[in-house]
Amino acid sequence: MAQLDRLAEKALRGFANRTSRRSLFSVLGGLLAGTAALPLLPVARAEEPNQPASDPASGRQPPMSSGNPQDPGDPTQCDYWRYCAIDGSLCTCYGGTVNACPPGTEMSPITWIGTCRNPADQRNYIISYNDCCGGVLWGRCNCQRNDGDRPVVRPQNNNEVTWCFGTKSQSYTCSTAVILGVATEQK
Amino acid sequence: MPRPSIARAMPALCMAFFAARAVQAGPPGVANAGRAWQHWTLNCQGCHRPDGSGSAATAPPLKDNVARFLSVPGGREYLGRVPGVATSALSDADLSEVMNWMLWRFDAADMPKDFEPYTAAEVGRLRKRPLRLDAAPMRRELLQEAERRSANGPRNP
Repeated sequence: MAQLDRLAEKALRGFANRTSRRSLFSVLGGLLAGTAALPLLPVARAEEPNQPASDPASGRQPPMSSGNPQDPGDPTQCDYWRYCAIDGSLCTCYGGTVNACPPGTEMSPITWIGTCRNPADQRNYIISYNDCCGGVLWGRCNCQRNDGDRPVVRPQNNNEVTWCFGTKSQSYTCSTAVILGVATEQK
Repeated sequence: MPRPSIARAMPALCMAFFAARAVQAGPPGVANAGRAWQHWTLNCQGCHRPDGSGSAATAPPLKDNVARFLSVPGGREYLGRVPGVATSALSDADLSEVMNWMLWRFDAADMPKDFEPYTAAEVGRLRKRPLRLDAAPMRRELLQEAERRSANGPRNP
């Protein structure tokens, strides 16, 4: 046992004589720099299985964000705050955005308008659900939330009406949710 | 007695300023222009478009057009009975305000000099007899009459 102790002591003392504390820093520094440079190597990562990617069949999109804390949430999801009174397909699913139509479609100037509460500031905003018309009806990414919706006998307050009026084509593709202004409590 | 100064008067001045800003009165018959705009946006703009230009397929144009009805007999009543007005979810008071606002906002040039603003009572009375399919032919007749009158004399006497 004492022999083993001596052997270990000799090995450690030898190692300590041959190396310095500075060499430890140089090794650590090399490791750090190497790790940081690794992602720069030209390796294809697009096909990695965990990478969120859009799926043409289901229309599933990678998460989106406005990057603005005043506009929280993900516009590719039905629970996004501006969709509180929507009834249709989300344009974010077709290559459009929450404010713009997908390529190949035309935004209807005739719209269904409602209000939604913004969770960031707890204020109500006036939202215009402009339909995008003229594209192919895929029927995917459907989202139905009907705050403030009224029966069809009041067509001006009903969101089941296809609002593709005033456009070249009356075929519905999807809906946007554009902010028009802040709604105030009126007395 | 304390000397009056600007500093002493500032709180009162500020309050008066903000009170005036909070409710921005509009043209005759519009007590609160912000409220009228909001009611217009939520109840009318969707079909009549933000600039009131409307479309032949859905809601007729208001821009440079709507106040012409006031210059022909039956036109004032027609505006209170059209489907979008008569069946609106707004109260009589809010509806009369938004109608007055709309007339000034989209067709100030055609407003008669002696225009009397719509009142809640008048609108309440008119909307009890809503127009349905008869709205379009009545509109045509009224506009023809307005055209004839403007051809015979100045458009806005």
